Amino acid sequence: MKYALRRVLQAVVVVLLAYVFTFVVISVLPGDPVTNTLRNPQNGFSEEEIQRIVAYYGLDRPVHEQLWQSLSRFVVGDLGVSLRSGLPVSRLISEVLSSTLVLAASALGVALVLAFAIGFGTQYLPKRYGQGLLRAFPSLFLSVPNFVIGLLLINVFAFQLGLFRVIDSEGGLATLFAAIALGIPVSARIAEVLVANLDHESAEEYASVARSRGLGRTGLLLRHLLKPSSLPVVTVVALAVGELLGGAVITEQIFGRTGIGSLVERSVTTQDLPVLQAVVTLAAIVFVGVNLIADLVYPLLDPRVRLGESRSRPKVEVAA
Amino acid sequence: MKTRPPGRALRIIVGLATVMGLAACGSPAAGGPAAGTATPPKDGGAITFLIDSLGDTWIPNNSAISSFQGHIWGHLTDKLVYVDDKGAVSPWVAEKWEQNATATEFTLHLRQGVTFSDKTPLDAAAVVANLDIWSKGDPTRGINPIGLFPKTYDHSQAVDTTTVKVFFKAPTLGFIPTLGYHGSILISPKTIALPSAQQADLSNDIGSGPFVLASWKEGDSVVLKKRPDYNWGPKALGHEGPARLDSITYKLVAEPSVRTSAVQSGQADVAYNPSPQELASFKSQGFTTATPRYLGFVNGFAINTKVAPFDDVKVRQALQHGIDRKEIISTVYTEDWLPAQSLFQSNVPGATDRSADFAYDADKANRLLDEAGWVKGADGVRAKDGKRLEFTLYANPYLAASKSVDELVAQQLGKLGFKTTIQAFDVVTYGERVKINSPSVAAYEVTRSFIDAGTVAGVLTDANKGENWFGLGQTDAKLVQLATGVAAADSVEKRAPLLDELQGHVLQQGYFVPLTQIVQRLYLQSPKLQGVTYNGIAYANYYAAWLG
Repeated sequence: MKYALRRVLQAVVVVLLAYVFTFVVISVLPGDPVTNTLRNPQNGFSEEEIQRIVAYYGLDRPVHEQLWQSLSRFVVGDLGVSLRSGLPVSRLISEVLSSTLVLAASALGVALVLAFAIGFGTQYLPKRYGQGLLRAFPSLFLSVPNFVIGLLLINVFAFQLGLFRVIDSEGGLATLFAAIALGIPVSARIAEVLVANLDHESAEEYASVARSRGLGRTGLLLRHLLKPSSLPVVTVVALAVGELLGGAVITEQIFGRTGIGSLVERSVTTQDLPVLQAVVTLAAIVFVGVNLIADLVYPLLDPRVRLGESRSRPKVEVAA
Repeated sequence: MKTRPPGRALRIIVGLATVMGLAACGSPAAGGPAAGTATPPKDGGAITFLIDSLGDTWIPNNSAISSFQGHIWGHLTDKLVYVDDKGAVSPWVAEKWEQNATATEFTLHLRQGVTFSDKTPLDAAAVVANLDIWSKGDPTRGINPIGLFPKTYDHSQAVDTTTVKVFFKAPTLGFIPTLGYHGSILISPKTIALPSAQQADLSNDIGSGPFVLASWKEGDSVVLKKRPDYNWGPKALGHEGPARLDSITYKLVAEPSVRTSAVQSGQADVAYNPSPQELASFKSQGFTTATPRYLGFVNGFAINTKVAPFDDVKVRQALQHGIDRKEIISTVYTEDWLPAQSLFQSNVPGATDRSADFAYDADKANRLLDEAGWVKGADGVRAKDGKRLEFTLYANPYLAASKSVDELVAQQLGKLGFKTTIQAFDVVTYGERVKINSPSVAAYEVTRSFIDAGTVAGVLTDANKGENWFGLGQTDAKLVQLATGVAAADSVEKRAPLLDELQGHVLQQGYFVPLTQIVQRLYLQSPKLQGVTYNGIAYANYYAAWLG
């Protein structure tokens, strides 16, 4: 309980720091969404007209005043208004959050299925029948950018085979293929760790004893090797959340989906500070939350692991 | 345990993947274009328009001239007049109009029975509310004015329900054509009175156009459906009554190849902004492509005459004659682009063919530089009094091929002895660092649309808070005289010779260096979609269109 409370307090500090850091980073850059739009020579605005509009948005005030106002709003749960669209940030995020969560969860599912398929395959297949090929897959998956995978999937399955329509980007099959594009690179990292740990555990003495007692490959894998090999996978999965959120920017663009990724892309290109602050804060919350869950899951997978009571980070105790 | 060799299955999987990969390299198989024969107009059907962005805010005044949102506004709203792709003005919501002898007072007579989609009348009071918000905006609510609306606007008043009188502080011959500009969309006074946060929600923005909003999702899509009681479309479009199509879906697909492949495979009907280099290939496959030109300036450089080396007229003239425009079109663009004939697009009423004033002539350019005292050094770069003949070109981030054009121009000028550096910035940095008439910007790449050539008087000098594009202030008496004459003209007939002389003077003095006529909106379209029209700002209009 004390541990959980400490972690929650840490999380609050991390979230506030993320909020302030985003503000500072964006504020030191030249320009803002309002002047960027107004200065488009197509618009033909005079400098006087531009300054009047900039003043309306309070962008002419000192940075520390803007930060204080922004923080005051944030602590009472007001995320402000998007400088780009003029819509409340909370509305923009709530409209797209579910799409990204579905995509990220599906991609994680795809990544886990692929990673475990590769991991199990390396334990089952004899070396001369494709085990080497399977072991090469993680490197291959990592080296192909997910936009290439996405474009290939769209071209083959949407345009050639007509399995889904690009204009129905939130449909079931469209989501599945977007999840495959996003999940493949993530699966590579999980598979690398899983394969290495399965190999390690498989070479342990207890595995040899089990084999000598006549336990089959499946039994050995499921009963003895899987659980200890999965522990590092939990860590990798927790870290992969960042990769899923980052990859969603590209995947959502390619598949024409509207999610947090595409919102970030539009906000970055237009320097929409309130939206970026909210999204970075949300990402910080997700990161902290996922890592907390990962910490809590460790003892369930391996009873030898105990959460430290007196330290700021979980302590891993290994029984002698 | 018995394991089965996976060789066969593996071979099948690898083979299938290879076939799919190869297939993906080809053009989409499904839904190829129908025969390109015209079919008679018919009602019904829905089209999907794939677009690369849905812009920023939906506050009408702040988004009406967006290259992206302008498409949607063009179907949700009406304008007072229609301006076609040749600049011809014809009635729309304003049935007829008159002006006084000095072009400072105009009377608009509105069509009766026009209503907004919430059934409130589009009457004289509504038009006055729109004219006021276009002209002044409302900075206290974050609502921009329409940038290119005549700055000479004074006020307007509703004489009766269908008559509006509009007053200007100075002659404004361009007023009527400007009413067909993409910024001049008629919005319900109820919407105009809303706070900007509510106007930013497209659901609250009420227009009187042939389509109404069915649904929208910010940054994703906008779905429009036909308004059944619409009966006041522009006569120039040759169609009466409601739109033929039932609905239009604008769907954001950022990736260009996905947009075009979706049209090729029959999943969508229009792809906006395909790559110019692919247009010929699409045409050969039977698809329709459109490259309408908007009314406005051609793509070119506004030269800062205060900055060396362009403070010397001979250097400006050498630049003018040292650029081979035909090579730009054949190298960077395609045959759909036209060479510039003046500083205006050739479809602008009043634009004249002044090609001779800036014809490519390398010998003449070299001679002019020699006469100006610029001598070629061992490295091929000319110099004078220890200073090299050099300047920087800043690629315009709002124009896709700008950097490629600049690179070619730099190469051409290099043969004459110029040393041209190219800088490319993102939109934000460009906005901060590259400003017209700034001391660090010797040549500013211009792209700007306008509806009436009379508005150009406001950019040439600094008279009447003009934009002073060339840094001349009012030092060129002839330019001031011509610009004032164009701005103050009270009839097109009186203005035409002045406008011709103005174009000649600006080009001969090397103030403006044209490159090519500009095509900023490109369309790839299913051949089944017919009857599409393009207005003076090059937006596609589907009011009269049908699916064959």
